Amino acid sequence: MHTSQWIKNIKIEKNYKEEDGYITGTETELSYFLIKNGKMEQIISADQVITDNIPQIDADGLLALPSFTEKHCHLDKTLLGDDWRPVIPTKNIFERFEVEKKVLPTLATTTQERAEKLLDIYSHAGVTKVRTHVDLYPEVGLKNLDEVKKALHSYENRLDSEIVAFPQHGLLRSDSKHLVKEALKRGAGYVGGVDPANVDGDIEASLQAMVELAVEAEAGIDLHLHDADHLGTFTMKRLAELTTEAGLQGKVFISHAFGLGDVSFKQAEELAEIFADAGVGIISSVPNNRKFPPLELLTNKGVETAVGCDNIFDVWSPFGNGDILERLGRLAEIYRWVDQPSLTQSLGYITGGKTTLTKDGKQAWPKVGDEANIVFVKASCSAEAVARRSKRVATMFKGNVAAGEL
Amino acid sequence: MNSKAYWLTNATLETGYQLQHGIISGTQTDTFHIQIENGKIKEILPAQKSITSELPKYDAEQYLMLPSFRDMHIHLDKTYYGGKWKAPAVPEHGIWTRLQEEKKLIPELLPYTEERAKKLMDLLLSAGTTHIRSHCNVGPTEGLHHLEALLRASENYQNKVFVEIVAFPQQGMLRSNAASFVRDALRNGAGYVGGVDPASIDGDVEKSLQTIMELAVEGDANIDIHLHEAGELGIFTMKRLAALTEEAGWQGRVTLSHAFALADIHGNVLDEMAEILAQQGISIASSVSLSKTIPIPFLHQKGVEVFLGDDSITDHWSPFGKGDSLEKAGLLAERFGLSDERTLGQTLQYITGGITPLDENGRQVWPKPGDAANFVLADASCSAEAVARRAQRKAVFYQGNQITGSLYP
Repeated sequence: MHTSQWIKNIKIEKNYKEEDGYITGTETELSYFLIKNGKMEQIISADQVITDNIPQIDADGLLALPSFTEKHCHLDKTLLGDDWRPVIPTKNIFERFEVEKKVLPTLATTTQERAEKLLDIYSHAGVTKVRTHVDLYPEVGLKNLDEVKKALHSYENRLDSEIVAFPQHGLLRSDSKHLVKEALKRGAGYVGGVDPANVDGDIEASLQAMVELAVEAEAGIDLHLHDADHLGTFTMKRLAELTTEAGLQGKVFISHAFGLGDVSFKQAEELAEIFADAGVGIISSVPNNRKFPPLELLTNKGVETAVGCDNIFDVWSPFGNGDILERLGRLAEIYRWVDQPSLTQSLGYITGGKTTLTKDGKQAWPKVGDEANIVFVKASCSAEAVARRSKRVATMFKGNVAAGEL
Repeated sequence: MNSKAYWLTNATLETGYQLQHGIISGTQTDTFHIQIENGKIKEILPAQKSITSELPKYDAEQYLMLPSFRDMHIHLDKTYYGGKWKAPAVPEHGIWTRLQEEKKLIPELLPYTEERAKKLMDLLLSAGTTHIRSHCNVGPTEGLHHLEALLRASENYQNKVFVEIVAFPQQGMLRSNAASFVRDALRNGAGYVGGVDPASIDGDVEKSLQTIMELAVEGDANIDIHLHEAGELGIFTMKRLAALTEEAGWQGRVTLSHAFALADIHGNVLDEMAEILAQQGISIASSVSLSKTIPIPFLHQKGVEVFLGDDSITDHWSPFGKGDSLEKAGLLAERFGLSDERTLGQTLQYITGGITPLDENGRQVWPKPGDAANFVLADASCSAEAVARRAQRKAVFYQGNQITGSLYP
């Protein structure tokens, strides 16, 4: 790898294009990026002449987009790389825990191998940052954590990662506090949890335990909350209060948060304001079989929001392809974001908020000084990339090609 | 054109379910040699047996053989696919915005219609589709020009795919006075009378439906109408159409596309509606809309035939659409929680005209000698995997001929 390098002929978005009286596309221009020490040192228009001797590679007119973040996955659960096996019907989530606990140790492949398989898919799809939950329960101890850490270590030049210490069988229910505590000492940055009501059976004690663990380890929180409607929103409100009390603003996330999709728009609006004040973020996997939080409303109210793929072929679900752009396209379809500005702005859900253009069409990305985390896409603009799930040709992480080829 | 005779060797076929403690834990498969002749499957031999004939042999390399797919609702004539990206406008006035746009847009698309229809068919074929039902705009705005372009395209593709065309008065059968154009279209290659929203577009449910039915009877044609109308309005319209279907003896010849109102009703009302549709043999074409999905497995269980289509593929209505029927089947399975081996595998029927390799009890029912040699070779161990994982399609065959893939030169 060179510490400095020019990338020639990169298409970047400049502003919206109008035709027939409405915005039909995006004006782009070809430019050259100078990458130095993993950052974008200079961005110049393609009609300028490069006079230095810094090595050059050619992006051939591909569109540059800010690279993607996978905000909710389970690297330790996937069966990718192993044989097909169907989902065994279960009566409830507790039976599913048992199936998973029994099946995973019998596989011919290791957790590390399967995790790497999924990481490879993510990397090719344009992802340079993943947040993975890792199961902790008495029978498995910290084994999944160790395996996932090995996988992430082998990918450390291709993507950044965050680990959530996830007591899948219930923090209280499976008496796993000590495992979470240990995991936080060994590389996990977030306290996980699941359904304080329906899994742990004690909302208050479950939330208090999570917050205590987080405060003690100076960690964040990312809670799986499937508990529906008012049960869910009650739990969310309580977590928001505890977040503020503990001074954890900006470090607490609720994944799924289905309850927010079940209550009225007015109630969701009130909750959005509470989350914005408490610095609680919402992550959705955009399920197509159930209502989910109104992401657009949340974003407009200033709540941090993101989309993640969640299950990718595991004992819970046979579906999922590990393409976060596909997941975003699904969100756009569900919300009927068909027009150029809506599609363009939607990219923020998978880029940590980065979009190529601002709402009023001014250039927002790339900026000199940004990390050179870039996806090179075969598309005319980001709106097309989202709607058509355009082909990702290469992913750049800190200035290096992490997947694909330029 | 029917294929020459040859052997397809080492194809994987599903032979039954695997049971473990009374639960279906997987699918049993075996390898077979399959003789194809005159576009049909002639003989199926277990792979252990040797082939004595001198016919050419092509190795299927253990890929899984599945019945080929059907896209039963698409608009081949107004896609941007193959052209430049163009985002749709915000539909400030819903469908009226789109109808207004078409007055200007449709004539502008005409020079590209044939070429883009071919490109879109290429996309569908590569995904395993060998049967397409395309709606095609007809009416005062476009005359029969779009139909002519689409007919040219499909004639070019007649050895690759079966195309049936619905004469579709997008601007309204009554509203745009399109009946004479539909009649002409039926005489010139369209096989179906189309229509759209008898109440909200045409403004007269009874007269709109009567006109559709008269045209169908006169032209001895089938019917496939777009019905977006919601709630009771949609249900009322369906019931009237069912009554007219019975009067005309048109059972089994009528399709409702979308039929969104079925997503608005529940309990006894849904039960009764499904029974009426089943009795009159009225089928449903659904695009498995992500924003409003009708209860497809329930309808199927009540005996209503439901099939899937892609609808818009990047046009001025919607920028989305993949042209992949297997993706639609996968979305359907995901939407309705069909995630175990049996229900996943059976989901295939919605995109194959009802054909699945195994029936619900795990008996092998496809392929059999005499079946049309329309099939896909997929990189999967079984149908369930193919649906859940949207398995890669390695080759696609229509009437015994390989239309995509590199199994033979």
